[in-house]
This record gives sequence, C-alpha cells and structure tokens, in this order.
Amino acid sequence: MRENVAAQRSYADLDHWMERYQQADPHAPAALVSALSPALLRFFRSQVANREQADDLLQETWLRIHRVRHTYRPGEPVLPWIYAIARRVRVDGYRRTRRIIRHETAMEALPEPPALLEPQNPLPAFETLVATLPDAQREVITMLKVGGLSLEEVARATSSTVGAVKQKAHRAYERLRKLLHAGAVHDSWGGAE
Amino acid sequence: MSCDDVDRALMEEPFTSRFSAQAQEHLRGCRSCRELVRAVRLPVSADLPSPKTLRRIELDIVANLRPVRPVAPKRLFATLVAIFVCVVALSVYRIGAFAIAVMSPLQTGAMLGTLAISSGLLAYSLVQQAIPGSRHRISPRLLPISILIALTVVVVLLFQFEQERNFWANAWWCIRTGAAIGALAAVPFWLVLRRGAILSPSMTGLAAGLFAGLVGMAALEIHCPNLDIWHILVSHIGVGVLGATAGLMVGSFPRWR
Repeated sequence: MRENVAAQRSYADLDHWMERYQQADPHAPAALVSALSPALLRFFRSQVANREQADDLLQETWLRIHRVRHTYRPGEPVLPWIYAIARRVRVDGYRRTRRIIRHETAMEALPEPPALLEPQNPLPAFETLVATLPDAQREVITMLKVGGLSLEEVARATSSTVGAVKQKAHRAYERLRKLLHAGAVHDSWGGAE
Repeated sequence: MSCDDVDRALMEEPFTSRFSAQAQEHLRGCRSCRELVRAVRLPVSADLPSPKTLRRIELDIVANLRPVRPVAPKRLFATLVAIFVCVVALSVYRIGAFAIAVMSPLQTGAMLGTLAISSGLLAYSLVQQAIPGSRHRISPRLLPISILIALTVVVVLLFQFEQERNFWANAWWCIRTGAAIGALAAVPFWLVLRRGAILSPSMTGLAAGLFAGLVGMAALEIHCPNLDIWHILVSHIGVGVLGATAGLMVGSFPRWR
C-alpha cells in the first residue's frame, strides 16, 4: 500500500515530464519510462499472465506512446492517456495472438515441449483473484488497484462514463464476494487468507 | 451502511487503510465484505521490468526524439466543421438549391437543423476519439446509429409517400452525386484525422465515413426537390449509410493484414 501511495505521489510529476517529452527533452523519456513501466507491466501481467507477452506489450506500448505523443494535451491527466493506449495495445496483442493461433496447423505428433524460459511460479494472489473476472471487470479493477487511477480516470481510459465504470466495479466486487463465499478463489490461492 | 457502501468505498479509495467508523462496524458484522476487503488488499505482483528492457525502450525513444506540437481540440473541431461547410457550399453552388423552394419552412428547418446538430455532435465525437483519455460525454458507439435513427424519424414524420416514376433512376442519380460529394469531403477529413485514429481505427473510420456521408446528404437535402419518403430514405440517408460502411472498412483495413 505504501508503495502505491508513493507511486501516486510520483505520478504528480508526470504532467510536467510529459510536456518536456513533447518538447524533446532527452531526460523526459527516462523519467516517464521508469515511473510508469512497473505499473504498466503489472497491468499487462494481470491481463495476459505470461511474463514474456507482458514484456512485449510493454515495449509495444512505449513505441506507440512515442508515435502518438502529440495527442497528449498539456494540463490533462497523463494516466488515462497512457492507459487508453496500453489498453489498445493489449486488445491488438490479443487479436494478433488469436490470429496466429488460428493459422497454426495442428501436428499429429506433438514435439517435446521446450524448456520453459521462466520458472513456473504460481501467480501472485491478486492476479489469481482477478483472473476469475470477465475481461471488462478485470480491466477496471486492475486500473483502480494496480494503476492507482481514480474512477474518472478509468472512465477516460476506457472511453466510457464514470457510471459505467462504477457498475463494472460493483459487479466485479459482487462476483468476488460470491466466489470468496463459495471458497472457489480460496482453493485456488491454496488457502491464502 | 450496506455492502454497496463498502463497494463504493473500495472504488473511491482502493488503497485506503482506514474505513469510516460506520464501515468498520459493517465489516465487523459482514463476513463477505470482510473477505472482499482483505482480498482486494492482497499484494500486487512485485514483477518489475528488467533494467535492460527499460534501457532499450529509453534508447529507442531518445534516438527518435524531436519536438511535437500538441493536438488542439478546438482547432481540430473548427477544421472539421469548416471542411463540412465548404464542401456543402461548393456542391450546392455547382448542382443548385432546388429543394429549398419546394420544402415547407418546417421541413427545411427540421431537416437542416437535424443535419447540423448531428454533424456537430459527430465532429465533437471525432475530436474526442482522436485524443486518448478524453472524457466521452457521448458514446462513440451509439452516436452514429442514433444519428441515422434520428434522421429517419424526421424524414418519416415530415415527408409523405408520393407516386414516383423512374424511382431507381432518380435514386441512383442522388446516390451517385451524394457519394461523390461525400468522397470529396472524405479526403480532407482523412488528412485531418489520420494522426489521431489511434484507439479504435474502425470506430473512427465509421464516424468519419458517416460525417463525410452527411456532407453528401446535406448537399442533396438542399438540392433535390423530390420529397418522397422512400426517395429520401434510400438515396439521401443511404449516402450516410454508404459513407459509414466505407469508413468502417477503411478503418478496419490494417487488421486484415
């Protein structure tokens, strides 16, 4: 929690760095990348689960941010702008992955699986918890908790209204309540409380 | 204090360590809320991007760094409206304004008023879509369909069925002319909007296509003296539908590759 509060505080400087970035200050990219990448990576991790894919999406997001940096309006909050782009990158990544899977040909004999690039750690608890939610609800909860966005900022990032965001969050909490009550999530946490 | 209030508190202050006294009291008596609050406060993954990845991203950005001018929403809106007005004015100058003489003041006012409001809202929506993280007061998904429904309702309420000879020949002339005018407007619209269609190119394409279609439709409404409902629905509003479809296809094109 302390980490999140610190992150909130450091987000206050983002507007300033974003303006400097538009003016081509060479120090601005480093400041923005280091301040925003951890939260963006966690956002992608909670959506795609695979670390390698999340890293790719993070890089793709920064490339796109760089390409469209002129669309940021000085004085406006940076986080909704960043997350709106990150969200789009995630959707494009999802579509790309689906297209690749569709074009893959099934083999009769499957080759031996290659050695895994990353150790198969169980997902951390929060990610496990939100993994049970539908995409739209997971996105909202992740932005609120991981990104530290306000309801208004989530509404801007998802091109919707505050009312719609509240409704999604409310439904997500309702669903989590039911799951927690049924013990489904507890079991998948391995009894973590 | 109810479970809904706890939800609200969690939405507004996801990191809060202290709830109000009333909320605390509710939590003491409600097991499901207690479990939910504990679950939402579970630690987030400590995954951090590797320093190597961050360095590579920074270097890529710095290598291509040059100043950019931030997009100006008001100027963008004014440009879209100016293009709309100029193309309609030029087209009407070229093909004539015969409809004004045969329509009643109510028909003229309602049709052109609906077209003007629709076009203004669509231009506003296009500007919002071009800027990520904008506050959307009108749903970009619902607006195009609402506009087409509103125009259809106005036509059905204000015009009458008339016997018409050569229905398809007349309709074809209007569709062809309206589509040509829309295509003429679509070029400057594309030039203005191309750098902003980031978040949903297909949605922006649809809205821009409909906007271009409305240019053609506005010119036809001022020009065409045929007041038959079917003619207006098929060959005037049809131009808007054609524009929206073409815009959607152009916007979706990058996804086909």
